[in-house]
Amino acid sequence: MSGTYAIETTGLSKAYGRVLAVDSVSLQVVPGEIYGFVGLNGAGKTTTIRALLGMIRPTAGSVGMLGHTVTPGARGPWHRVGHLVEKPAAYPELTVRENLEIARRLHAVSSAHAVSRVVERMGLTSEADRRAGVLSTGNLQRLALARALLHEPELLILDEPANGLDPAGVVEIRQLLVALARDQGVTVFMSSHILPEVGRLATRVGIIHKGRLLEEFDARRLEEVQALRLEVETRDLRAAAAVLTDAGYAVSWQSGEGKIVLREPRAVNAPDEVATLLVNKGTAPMRLAIVHEDLEGHFLRLTGGSQ
Amino acid sequence: MNAFLAAFWAELLKARRSRVFLLTLVALSIVPVVSGLFMFILQDPDRALAMGLITAKAQIIAGTADWPTFFQVILLGIAIGGAIVFAFIATWVFGREFADRTAKELLALPVQRHTIVAAKFALISIWILTLILVVFVIGLAVGRGVDLPGWSAMLAWSSLGSLMFIAVLTYMLIPAVALVASAGRGYLPPLAWAVLTIVLAQIAGITGWGDWFPWYVPALVASLGEPHAQAVPLHSYVLVLAAFVAGAAGTFAWWQSADQTR
Repeated sequence: MSGTYAIETTGLSKAYGRVLAVDSVSLQVVPGEIYGFVGLNGAGKTTTIRALLGMIRPTAGSVGMLGHTVTPGARGPWHRVGHLVEKPAAYPELTVRENLEIARRLHAVSSAHAVSRVVERMGLTSEADRRAGVLSTGNLQRLALARALLHEPELLILDEPANGLDPAGVVEIRQLLVALARDQGVTVFMSSHILPEVGRLATRVGIIHKGRLLEEFDARRLEEVQALRLEVETRDLRAAAAVLTDAGYAVSWQSGEGKIVLREPRAVNAPDEVATLLVNKGTAPMRLAIVHEDLEGHFLRLTGGSQ
Repeated sequence: MNAFLAAFWAELLKARRSRVFLLTLVALSIVPVVSGLFMFILQDPDRALAMGLITAKAQIIAGTADWPTFFQVILLGIAIGGAIVFAFIATWVFGREFADRTAKELLALPVQRHTIVAAKFALISIWILTLILVVFVIGLAVGRGVDLPGWSAMLAWSSLGSLMFIAVLTYMLIPAVALVASAGRGYLPPLAWAVLTIVLAQIAGITGWGDWFPWYVPALVASLGEPHAQAVPLHSYVLVLAAFVAGAAGTFAWWQSADQTR
């Protein structure tokens, strides 16, 4: 197993009976990057993450992490890895501080101040002595993130880390993860179905759908992989759509959206011709804009828009 | 060793913060209290009748109200009650990790999974030991309160020894409960298992096959002090040992290797 990558999977597959939850996923995560693992619910994100953490035995393929081969039950590089899998969980009868104290001891963190530090860092100071069973979903998520960060790992594997957080919390966690990667070189592997969030945060994106890794790209190439479209707004959309259709354009228009969308290169590369056509036919455009599809649009196009 | 101590500390904290310890203590304390009540009734059935403790139609148990009989009733009570209460403890210690969805926090740790399991079994053994000692002390207090005749220090020590032996035998049947709690991922499967084994033990006892059924063996040992009791055959102990080894090995193997999807 190569030690070059923080995470490396080779042909990773996991079947439950006849259902193939993960299908031949091969990915590499370079140290220091934030890898956004994007997919719809049920796409195979959590199963992949469980396989990465040795919680399930792959049906085929292998997982390497920080130079170790991961096998369920075997010693792994777990003192260097922080994780959050699926819904956050904590012992309900224990306080936030006690839950973290258990994690501190199990990770053999010698500093007794580690708990207080992470409590403060995650904004849980006012909740520290409350029982976990009475925490809000957002604070439970913060507790789970605090547990993942407690031992200052060099690799974070986070399954939907923004779940349950309010908008301010989402921004806060985003800034925290970016700072960890930038300032401390922490590698972050995070799954999400909140696509704009991944777009703002990740340095690389992998898209998984129905168990298969459909695409991987550098987030800096996001604009390149995202298709362009021409958006047209006129006072009479129905008439404009008819004019464009008559001229042979493939028109995408829904009355509720208030705009016509043209995706073909003929339109995107020559918006002036579209404008001239509409003016000549008496349906002058109020607005013409070439727009990058957002990550969500890219994702839906890639997956055929299927749920 | 440090890893084990860390895991054991965690288990101890969870137990201390839970009400389950108190619940099991109250449940098992019923045994010496009810045994004392039997002795009180046996001492003077007319007095018990006058106090309304029994009705004229009640069937009074045979025997005499003295310390040997009192200890004997406690032993039988623990052999039966212990099977239920100890199974309840194992169900909570293992099953709660799945009911609370915290099992996933115990899998990718520097502390090995078998260490976590060992810490859980260690907690259960200390929990049971504490319960037995408390029950015995309550028994001594109740027996003294009822003012039973026939006391001797030697009788008390030998009864404590028998109590411990029965507790150990019952404890050896607990890993199977832990395995069912783990594989069943929650509370209901192990509790169903406990009820099933208790019912089957009763059937095995009635049909005369009790010595071949591990879950009946503690009751067999508890009844050794009764008149006409026969020695418990060696194969009964071997079967209890086999149930222990199978249950413990299964639990360790399951935590080590099974897919953990909760």
